[in-house]
Amino acid sequence: MQYPPIERKIKYEAELDPGFAEEISSVPGGESLRRCMQCGTCSATCPLSIYMDYTPRRVLAMTRAGFKKEVLNCFTIWLCASCYSCSVECPKQIKITDVMYALKRMAIKERTYPKHFPTPVLAKAFFESVQKHGRSNEARVVTQLYLKTNPFHLLTQSTMGFRLWRRGRFGLKTESICNKRQLRTLLQSVEESDRPKPKGVAVEGGHR
Amino acid sequence: MPASEFKSNGVPKIGVYVCHCGINISAKVNIDEVVTFAKTLPNVVVAREYKFMCSDPGQQLIQKDIKEHEINRVVVASCSPLMHEPTFRRTTAEAGQNPFFFQMANIREHVSWVTADGTKATEKAKALIAGAVRRVVLHEALEQKRVSVKSDVMVVGGGISGIHAALTMANSGKTVYLVEREPTIGGHMAKFDKTFPTLDCSACILTPKMTDVRSHPNIKMMTYSEVQSVNGFVGNFDVEVRRKASYVDNSLCNGCGECTKICPVNVRSEFDEGMSMRKAIYRAFPQAVPNAFTISRKGTPPCQSMCNIHQNAQGYVTLVARGKYPEAMEVILRENPLPSVCGRVCTHPCTVACTRAKIDEPINVPGLKRFVADWAVEKRLDYHLPRPKTERQERVAIVGAGPAGLMCAYELRKMGYQAEIFEAQPVAGGMLAVGIPDFRLPKGTLVGEIRKLEEIGVKINLNSPVGQDGLTLKRLHEMYHAVFIGVGAHVERKMKIPGENLGSVWGGVEFLRRVNLGERVRLGRRVLVIGGGNSAIDAARTALRLGAPEVHIIYRRTRAEMPADPDEIREAEKEGIQFDFLTAPKAIHGDRWVTSAEFLKMKLGAPDESWRPRPVPIPGSEFVMPCDDMIVTIGQESDLRFLGNGMSLESTKWGTIVADPLTLETSVKGIFAGGDCVNGPEIVVTAMAAGKKAAISIHRYLNNLNMFVGREQEGAFESNIVTDTEGYLVKKRVPLPAIALDRRQGFEEVHLGYSEEMAKEEASRCLACAECCDCELCQTVCEPKAIDYTMKDSVEKVQVGAIVLATGFKAFDAERIPRYGYLKYPNVFTSLEIERMVNASGPTGGQVSLRSGEKPKSVGIIHCVGSRDETTNKYCSRVCCMYSLKLAHLIKERTGGNVYNFYIDMRTPGKGYEEFYDRLLEEGVHMIRGRVAEVTDWVMTPEEEGKLVIRAEDTLIGVVRRIPVDMVVLSVGLEPRPDADDVRRLFNISCSQEGWFLERHPKLAPVSTFTDGIFLAGACQGPKDIPDCVAQAGAAAAEAMALIDRGYVQLEPNTAFINEDVCSGCKTCIVLCPYKAIAFNLKEGISQVNEALCKGCGTCVAACPSGAAQQHLFTDEQIYEEVEGVLSYV
Amino acid sequence: MSYLYYPGCSLKGTGKAYEESLLAVFQALELPVQELEDWNCCGATAYMAVDELRAFALAARNLSLAEQQNKDSGTKTVNLIAPCNACYLVLMKTQHYIAEYDEIRRKIDTALEAAQLRYDGRVVIRHPLDVLVNDVRLEEIATHVRSPLTGLRVACYYGCQIVRPYAAFDDQDNPSSMDRLLRVLGAEVVNWPFKTRCCGGSLTGTIREVGLRLNQIILKEARKRGADVIATACPLCQFNLECFQTDIKKQFGEDLSLPVLYFTQLLGKAFGLSEKSLGLQRLFVPLELAAIEQKGGARASV
Repeated sequence: MQYPPIERKIKYEAELDPGFAEEISSVPGGESLRRCMQCGTCSATCPLSIYMDYTPRRVLAMTRAGFKKEVLNCFTIWLCASCYSCSVECPKQIKITDVMYALKRMAIKERTYPKHFPTPVLAKAFFESVQKHGRSNEARVVTQLYLKTNPFHLLTQSTMGFRLWRRGRFGLKTESICNKRQLRTLLQSVEESDRPKPKGVAVEGGHR
Repeated sequence: MPASEFKSNGVPKIGVYVCHCGINISAKVNIDEVVTFAKTLPNVVVAREYKFMCSDPGQQLIQKDIKEHEINRVVVASCSPLMHEPTFRRTTAEAGQNPFFFQMANIREHVSWVTADGTKATEKAKALIAGAVRRVVLHEALEQKRVSVKSDVMVVGGGISGIHAALTMANSGKTVYLVEREPTIGGHMAKFDKTFPTLDCSACILTPKMTDVRSHPNIKMMTYSEVQSVNGFVGNFDVEVRRKASYVDNSLCNGCGECTKICPVNVRSEFDEGMSMRKAIYRAFPQAVPNAFTISRKGTPPCQSMCNIHQNAQGYVTLVARGKYPEAMEVILRENPLPSVCGRVCTHPCTVACTRAKIDEPINVPGLKRFVADWAVEKRLDYHLPRPKTERQERVAIVGAGPAGLMCAYELRKMGYQAEIFEAQPVAGGMLAVGIPDFRLPKGTLVGEIRKLEEIGVKINLNSPVGQDGLTLKRLHEMYHAVFIGVGAHVERKMKIPGENLGSVWGGVEFLRRVNLGERVRLGRRVLVIGGGNSAIDAARTALRLGAPEVHIIYRRTRAEMPADPDEIREAEKEGIQFDFLTAPKAIHGDRWVTSAEFLKMKLGAPDESWRPRPVPIPGSEFVMPCDDMIVTIGQESDLRFLGNGMSLESTKWGTIVADPLTLETSVKGIFAGGDCVNGPEIVVTAMAAGKKAAISIHRYLNNLNMFVGREQEGAFESNIVTDTEGYLVKKRVPLPAIALDRRQGFEEVHLGYSEEMAKEEASRCLACAECCDCELCQTVCEPKAIDYTMKDSVEKVQVGAIVLATGFKAFDAERIPRYGYLKYPNVFTSLEIERMVNASGPTGGQVSLRSGEKPKSVGIIHCVGSRDETTNKYCSRVCCMYSLKLAHLIKERTGGNVYNFYIDMRTPGKGYEEFYDRLLEEGVHMIRGRVAEVTDWVMTPEEEGKLVIRAEDTLIGVVRRIPVDMVVLSVGLEPRPDADDVRRLFNISCSQEGWFLERHPKLAPVSTFTDGIFLAGACQGPKDIPDCVAQAGAAAAEAMALIDRGYVQLEPNTAFINEDVCSGCKTCIVLCPYKAIAFNLKEGISQVNEALCKGCGTCVAACPSGAAQQHLFTDEQIYEEVEGVLSYV
Repeated sequence: MSYLYYPGCSLKGTGKAYEESLLAVFQALELPVQELEDWNCCGATAYMAVDELRAFALAARNLSLAEQQNKDSGTKTVNLIAPCNACYLVLMKTQHYIAEYDEIRRKIDTALEAAQLRYDGRVVIRHPLDVLVNDVRLEEIATHVRSPLTGLRVACYYGCQIVRPYAAFDDQDNPSSMDRLLRVLGAEVVNWPFKTRCCGGSLTGTIREVGLRLNQIILKEARKRGADVIATACPLCQFNLECFQTDIKKQFGEDLSLPVLYFTQLLGKAFGLSEKSLGLQRLFVPLELAAIEQKGGARASV
């Protein structure tokens, strides 16, 4: 007879990353992570939690406990549309949205996000467009997105693209800024100033 | 240098003792280093360290040194003096030294606990010790004074804590003053039905204690009272208690309750959390202690205060709502002899202020007044205006029988003066008679009301114009003791444009007068009315009724700026009158009779002095409109010709009489003037107000009283009453019926009055802002004559030795968390509301029901509302988990429905608490671990239709759930009372960050405060359940008694003294000393302190300009030495 | 008071009508607005997800440009209008982080310096709603109403990021500025729970089925509460709610078509401005006032 595969679920301390919590809570906005009392307000107030593999509350708990692998691979962080409901409603005033951002960034840095998963792709497509032109062009960004993830969408969405274009809402030429050099220098110098600092060192000056 | 002249016991030999305090100090401060340092300081003979200086061996160290090394000055570096200064003083004393040769350096609270860096800590410790060593050298032998203690005690707050504390102390023979703000004792506990975890009936266990309090010979209850000031010090407090006037004499009241039966006022019951209504004269609940009634009178309601003649609108509106029309009439007539007139034509400022407007629309006060007046006429109610109690002989002449004159006469008659009116017109009533057309104010009503005035002896001479055939003002002034001029403004202003004097160009006043006096007036096809005021509307509507087929109102601004009453404008429009806005006349054409008029278009410009935009002519926009008649109503002025002959009565260039705004006295003594002839055209009620004001002035004048003092509150003023408008259902004004348009040819009155049903319904919208409406009905039924409206607040002074504060808590205001929908969704309740609901004597008689009255099938209880939440209160309120379980049990028991508890963590510590939790689980109450995000009426599934949906994550399952329920209960947390900070100032104690009263020590002195003699009991110190409150109350009582039974307190010898060589004898200190402890020595020419009286407040020390006043323990040189000691090291 | 105006990328693309109507309305109110010269993308949510510091740097450039451009206006504080919720939030968030975290401020300052820029923190980020309600004031706006929107039932949709997390000018739980504004125009504001519920942002493009569902829920509730139109204050919300209505119909098999306008377009309509100047022709679902008035009439008689 058929029965679902039986999984062995146990977590050995050795599999955890003890530094993970520190890493996240040392990011600006992450300080209050450890205050979480697991009340679940974030999950309940989140319009997207119902689609998540782990509810935001669990993500916080897992982060705090060092479940780095699971957290950086979960869909949850990519579903967050940063509507800030959780941050606002959190009785412990944890900046959950910012924690989610921190996790997204780490996931992108460590390339742990799911393959062909659109959100990070969009993020990067957008990122590059801005990097290049100083402004984003919705048309291009979206096209790139679909090319990279699901070319089929290009067809399904082409009608909408057309309707938008007919109403002059879909500029095909890329807007861009004049002083690109300035922007480039600006971004470069930030990059330099942002050389990875030793793990677990809280932001100097801290939270005022 | 001061240090050299050693105070008493010889060359200073100082011993320094550094305490490790376990590791509290030694973990941060390098003890050895400090000790070696101390050894190097001047006068230091020995320096030692010890693990616990406060322990016996520690103290023995000191005593040993005092004996062996003849130490005569001691410095201990350890914790805060608050902890152990007494200890070490005793140590010093027991070794034969005066205890004040001791100084403490606080290197724990001030150093080790608050300094991160060890070396820095050590340095700071050294500095402090250096300071202490320098200081102690200047210490002197002092005597501690003993003061006897007053044997009475006071308990503030009559909740369960206060009750228990009071009983405990009273039982041991102390006289206890129990002060309670509310009319009854019992506090929150009296509201509960059951108590957790035993579920025994709250009332059954509380009321016996309450009655004990009442019957106890040693307890003096001061209910409906508040502490107003506290002076003195431990053992000798002088307390002033304000006894609020309850307007019921408890000694006479027999509690029969007849008064509440007849009281017409319904207001929300605080005791039932606003879920039921109580009367304005009430007793919170049947078992109330004391079992007496109270009238809640909040002051003058907005409607009354804004009415120029202060009619008691709330009074008669309330009475109408109860169908007590004769009583209502009586209330109206107290202030107003012309009810049906005012009910029709007054522009009712009262409604502008009406609080109901904050919810929907203001009450139709005039409509209701008119209803009562009409009802009185229809029902042939034979009412009478109040007659004077005593007749007076002084005669007063009144010129003009308009509203001002009539009112003045009425007020004078009420006081018994002889009032005689002289009226130029053939009818009385002034503008009311000749200015207002019948379809707004039928003549009959006016005549009827004027007759009532004549009934009480007002004499009215018609057709007697003053200033003609011998009847001059001068003559009146001679013949009468006083004169009031209220001739109004009956002359139409001129437009000052060509053609104004042509025929059939009417002045509005004249036009209306003729019609009103029944003259025949013929009009042509097209009538143009110029102006935008009420008289323009009146003229136009009258013209229409006289048969003019086309009537225009021509106004230079727009509808928005029209001064006329909006309702009237609407009616006029309905009747087919045409409006031409932004139009002004330029010239009138025609020979003999007007044939056409030329107009200019206008546009609105910047606001003028009347705050309305100024109309600006548009050049070249002239146009001509043919017409047969023109009626000009651009404002009236007074005809003051009669002032002439021999009277030097001042008048202004605008043709008004000059009169003092406060007294209305004119430039001639004994002549007063008011109304339109002083202020220019205004509304009826302002004219009446003037009449009333004049009457008051005349009374003062005739009795040579001060004309000016205490007249601020005449005329309209702002009411200071604040009324809670939350949670009322919108209920719009009942519209006043009017006759159909096709019936409006004649002069039939347009607006019909309310029917009885309508009137009742409209009146029932009143919010009773002032609560008691001063209808005085209760007085009529009170047999023992216990009700006394003249009662005033009083202040009682008591002296007590100790005070126990038991002021309790306030429930969290659930509205502060909008996502839970309190006051948004009717079926969201607070836990306190449910407590009342489940209570057999509550608003629903113990039934748990929705607002609709039906039983809920499912109920969600949300925990931690206003607790464990950084945005409201961080702390846990301790009682909510348990009372939520209790309520869950009761709700399940009463409804049999599904009950869900949404909790973050269950906190059930305490005897039998966890067991109670088990029991509830067994009863099948759903427990969901997750904080609710929101309560919403947004439905996703058919099952959710018409329900309240609770969204929360079931954190133990890790899934978000939507749970539809009929009723939501918010378990609100406990908060400090809103006035906690004022109270803490009053008693000179401190509050924690959250605002709870701060105990002296969280573990070792939980019921004491930092102010000796003031103790804490119950929830005012922090959230507590009943058992804890009672236990703490007992403890507080014991502490208070311990203090009192000792019989004396030992005072710090910190009294002031005066350095006689320095004192300049300026006496500054003598006037300032609050205890009269300083006297002036004439012989020496200096001030001297009487130590027995001095309380050591230090006022004189601070004030003394020459620095002669000093204070033991804190002499300037001691303080300077210490500071220098610290600095010299740093 | 004069204002600088930061359009953001969307108002040059899908949100063109927002820009058009906004400027038209401001002109009608005689409010001087000046577009920020050479502004760059605010970075939006996506950028934050890749590199926080650079996201802040992007925003910081706009802030410092604003100060530069305002230099000769003489006023100390610079009012920078950001009509797009995302821009509004990112700019504001940047200010907050620069103020709260020394390290970020230091890094941003050095970066700006390297690019010959500086930011002194004198910019105040303003949303058009804020400006209209708190600077212009409703009384003033009322005087410009030529054809009131009587009978029109509007569901005010503020979206997430105007009031969250920084409730700078309106209540976080129950914002009311747009409600009050539209009431002044004579419209009837429907009472619904979704004023600030998230539209899913870019999810419609990335995780389509989820994005559509979020918008379906919002549209459905709006219709259920009897709204004739949804008023938005954000280009992305407007785009999601309007342009995917056909897809939503396909996906969930129920027709939820409903006009979705920028609140500025409704303002313009009430002011009697031309269709064209308000970019109304760019709508997918046009707003037929006439039809609604009839319906309104019918409703009134009920």
